[in-house]
Amino acid sequence: MIAWLFRFQSLFGLVLVFLAAVIFSPVRNGELLFLDSGNLFNVVRAMSEIGILAVGMTFVILVGGIDLSVGSVLGLASVGAAVLLVRQDFGVLPAVLVVLAAGLVFGLLQGVVTAKLGIQAFIVTLAGMQIARALARIWSGGQGVEIAYGDAPGRAPLAFSLLGERTFNGLVPIPALIFAVVAGLAAILLRVTAFSRHIYAIGGNEKAARLSGVPVNRVKILVFGLCGLLAALAGIVHAGQLNYGGPNDGSMAELDAIAAVVIGGASLSGGRGTVVGTVAGALLVGVLRNILTLNNVDSNIQLLIIGLVIVAAAGLQRLRPAAVG
Amino acid sequence: MPKRARGALSLLLGLTLVVSACGTTSENAGGGPAEPKPCGGAGGKYTIGVSQANVAEPYRERMDADIRKAAAGVPQFTVNFADAQQDNSKQVEQVENFLTQQIDLLIISPNEATPLTSVVKKAYEQGVPVLVLDRKVNGDSFTSFIGADNFDIGRRAGEFVAESLLPGGGKVAELKGLAGSSPAKERSDGFKLGIGGKNIEIVASADGDWLRDKGRQQADALLKGTPGIQVVYAHNDPMGEGAYLAAQDAGLTGIKVVGIDGLPIEAGGIKAVEAGRLAATFVYPTGGKEAVEAARKILVDCQQVPKVQGLPIERVTKENAAEVYARLNAGG
Repeated sequence: MIAWLFRFQSLFGLVLVFLAAVIFSPVRNGELLFLDSGNLFNVVRAMSEIGILAVGMTFVILVGGIDLSVGSVLGLASVGAAVLLVRQDFGVLPAVLVVLAAGLVFGLLQGVVTAKLGIQAFIVTLAGMQIARALARIWSGGQGVEIAYGDAPGRAPLAFSLLGERTFNGLVPIPALIFAVVAGLAAILLRVTAFSRHIYAIGGNEKAARLSGVPVNRVKILVFGLCGLLAALAGIVHAGQLNYGGPNDGSMAELDAIAAVVIGGASLSGGRGTVVGTVAGALLVGVLRNILTLNNVDSNIQLLIIGLVIVAAAGLQRLRPAAVG
Repeated sequence: MPKRARGALSLLLGLTLVVSACGTTSENAGGGPAEPKPCGGAGGKYTIGVSQANVAEPYRERMDADIRKAAAGVPQFTVNFADAQQDNSKQVEQVENFLTQQIDLLIISPNEATPLTSVVKKAYEQGVPVLVLDRKVNGDSFTSFIGADNFDIGRRAGEFVAESLLPGGGKVAELKGLAGSSPAKERSDGFKLGIGGKNIEIVASADGDWLRDKGRQQADALLKGTPGIQVVYAHNDPMGEGAYLAAQDAGLTGIKVVGIDGLPIEAGGIKAVEAGRLAATFVYPTGGKEAVEAARKILVDCQQVPKVQGLPIERVTKENAAEVYARLNAGG
């Protein structure tokens, strides 16, 4: 039971923050503003891009790596989607596939350099962060690319604008659905496949994993590829939500993603962490930010509080019994 | 383990369901311009939401301060501030939060036009009056735009360089704002028009990202790499200050620096002009005071306001710096 508590600390944290948000919610016309369905879905929508990044980041952190490039890749992908749709007259599916492939390749390359050349992931992806940002600026010509919709040349197909829309009686934002699907698939991938056993094995003890026949390099490369792929997906969602490909967008998003993973209970030295934890970590930050904003708490105080939450989450992990996987 | 995981997952799903089940509909009326809410007049109490792109920039901090100061003079107003920290997504989220809070009026200085357009439109169509400051949004779904013209301020800077600093022509270096931001492009295009046909050449340029240290570093390289530069045109005053420091370092005391923004604060451009570090700056008004005035007209006086309120650009040189500084900080 104790083990369970530590393992899913962020889930309990989320429940606590959620309850606190209900208690401290401003009331308008007898209704709790926080529990307004529009408000709740906005929380999830706003966190969905960071959440998608964080899911990819979870895999990288599980093998003991880190990926600092995801925010820049998000910006690059948003520019890529916008340029392909608007300036190159791509259809939605080809544009999305090209951008996803670009993200995947970018991630795989970072994985190859990390695994095969033995350079630390921090350094490789620090370089990747600069390179992706540069590519985004070059590809866009240094200007944000506006996405206008319609049939005429120079306009994106209307279907792409669905990313900014809501489904199910006009309530659930599509980015939130994409986030949910990504998280669901990732959780399954990390539970039932041999791939997941390899990931945890590498994160636990890379040398031992190598000796016991785990294809360490291949797994690492795939993990970075997956992270790049998800960063590109987040960029596509970003472009669709905002009708805009921004060469400077997504800067610092990598830190938000890492924060979500850490609050989710993962260890930066690898081998420990879950997708469920990460999702709860991302939502926890989103709910916290929302309730603070609804109560007009100063934005600097908000930063302070979220910083303290990160420290608290990491501190809790230190207390965790060593035997708990 | 899988059992536990399944338990956790179902808990999460359950939570999501609870979340989606509670709360009532409030916003899928959708479509069409809503009727503006009836005006409450002088007897009402009003909450104004201010959505700021990035308070870390001194210019925007001053804008918030101007709004705060002006609003203190209207007893009916309560003002809530949000800071998007230069993040388009975050700013959309914050405006949505304001709508949840059912604010009576929105003042927004958008980080970028296109990404903020639809949420501004949403607010406007819900009947919330929207005042857009400094940077525009697309289309015309807002109540009033208040701001100066970046293209025009660049042109004025160019004309000043051509007339006062380099009447016989000469070489200029340009320090640009963040690549991809619209003011950087407009201040650059305007400047080129201002110096057009005057035998002035932009011999070097670099991105300074609006930052003082980056401006200094880039100016350092430009001045070393391109001999003969006589004037540095910086898209804002902090980069101009950086260029001044770089010129000092290189022993190039004859170089004149022109900036933009003219913030009337101790560390701002007007003081830099007064001290002789900048040859000139151009006041790009924040519009904070004007926005509160417009809000008062709409909410308290129940009047209309003009769709576009252009703010005057003012040239600041050593002659008028002290006077402008005093005037912009006077009264309320």
